[in-house]
Amino acid sequence: MFIGTDRLTHTYMPGTPYAKKALDNVSFEIKQGGFALVIGRSGSGKSTLIQHLNGLLKPTSGRVFFDGHDLGQKGSELLKIRRKIGLVFQMPEELFFSETIFDEIAFAPRNLGLEETEVQTRVIEALEEVGMEAEQFIDRHPFQLSAGQKRMVALAAVLSLRPEVLILDEPTAGLDHSGQKILFKLLASLNKKKNMTFIICTHHLDQVAALADQVLVLQEGRLVMDGFPQKIFGRRSQLIEMGLSPPVTAEIMADLAERGLDVRSDIFNLEDARAEINRLRRHRVK
Amino acid sequence: MVNRSEIIIEAKDLAYQYTGEEEASSPALSGVNISVHRGEYIALIGPNGSGKTTLLKLFNALLVPTNGEVRVEGISTFDEENILSIRRHCGMIFQNPDNQLVATTVEEDIAFGLENLTLPSAEIQKRVGQVSSVLGLQDLLQQAPHMLSGGEKQRVAIAGVLAMQPGCILMDEPTAMLDPAGRNDVLQTVQHLNSEQGLAVVHVTHFPEEAVMADRVVVLEDGRLVAQGSPKEILGNTSLLHGLGLQSTAAVELASLLRQDGFDLPEGIITNRELVNSICSLEQTD
Repeated sequence: MFIGTDRLTHTYMPGTPYAKKALDNVSFEIKQGGFALVIGRSGSGKSTLIQHLNGLLKPTSGRVFFDGHDLGQKGSELLKIRRKIGLVFQMPEELFFSETIFDEIAFAPRNLGLEETEVQTRVIEALEEVGMEAEQFIDRHPFQLSAGQKRMVALAAVLSLRPEVLILDEPTAGLDHSGQKILFKLLASLNKKKNMTFIICTHHLDQVAALADQVLVLQEGRLVMDGFPQKIFGRRSQLIEMGLSPPVTAEIMADLAERGLDVRSDIFNLEDARAEINRLRRHRVK
Repeated sequence: MVNRSEIIIEAKDLAYQYTGEEEASSPALSGVNISVHRGEYIALIGPNGSGKTTLLKLFNALLVPTNGEVRVEGISTFDEENILSIRRHCGMIFQNPDNQLVATTVEEDIAFGLENLTLPSAEIQKRVGQVSSVLGLQDLLQQAPHMLSGGEKQRVAIAGVLAMQPGCILMDEPTAMLDPAGRNDVLQTVQHLNSEQGLAVVHVTHFPEEAVMADRVVVLEDGRLVAQGSPKEILGNTSLLHGLGLQSTAAVELASLLRQDGFDLPEGIITNRELVNSICSLEQTD
């Protein structure tokens, strides 16, 4: 078992009239090097779940595990483990507080008590990892950057801890198409080359669906689906009923199938849709 | 009836330069000429940093131009004494509704702006009643705004603006933080207000699917207005959009790939339905 939960339940404000069960008996596992999407409506428990996965919240009952450790247990181990699980919040650049990009990224490594030379190594390494030339950027003010660059610096600030797992909440909110493309390309490369594990919460599946190998669907605090993307996105009417939107290419293919064309509808990127429609034509010509 | 030849917002030779930057940076906007007509729905698109938000803020007198002039219902935004009147004619909806909800109940929140106008309380009650029924908020009036879903919060924010009886609403990525159901909820509401009540809309978005519903799509790049036209003209022009690092709707993108493969698809396909219809009719005639 790499990272996951076992019968995890979380109740906010237990024992008060405002008590609310945000997670209800949730069990799943994500393997090392996996790329998982967590989807669900607002209020379905996504944020509560990811905050358990790096120990920010403690279970009301059940367990959260990572690499053989139980995150719910008390002790000094937790801090050490938490470093291996990076969490990037929604609009992370809104939390910037430093005067230079160097200091922004150096904050976490310095908090680890690392030597300043090691801190410097980590900052430069993290910036280059996100495709920004260190020399050109370290002395600049974070607010001088474009929206896409700010998001990359926020990511570098977490990568400087050299995490094994990266959890991102709605990572592309507010980014334009090219900013989104650059971000996902980076995540895909960290996943493939460094075997980094990804857990991403998002409402916008069109670009990220093709990268994933697992999709978790939450509804009112319960895990209602867990499986391969093809399987989950194939259950289109159920997703729509839950107020979720399957990837738009899957919608187009499903509409074609409904009109009597013999196409698969478990398709969620443009190139696969193109190939499938072409296959149909070749099939007919034969 | 709405007289669509009337102009609500007129911007002439507009330029804006943010101050405080160390280096002489390029202006956020320059040489922009644009008019918003009564009852018109404009989608404003462009890469991050192209000046979309700056333009909205200039329309709303949150910023005043460095060069050129903006007139709202004939009043110049330089006219400080009439700034409140400009904002009443032309209300703003931000990306995150949490940033613009201020009161402890939905009812008080909708009434907040009206109370500041020192209207008689009977008139305030009448208007709150009207807008809450238009926006389907009647049953939520006594609720605390922070307990609502994202889509509901955004509808409350719209209600607060609508209660001021504006001729135009400005929306800066109003669905970026919402789940798919919340997003549909807000988009349908805005479409309804536009078509039934003749409210003009200027809608900044990164989602090409949202630009489809506009009367006119306006494209900004590096602070300049580089193209404008109907959704079919602009969204159908993939070379323009790709050149700016933007993408069109999935239907446009897929149609353009299929045309490269020799599919004889007509021009002007921008929605899923149009694409599906065209592919099906090809299959039938072949």
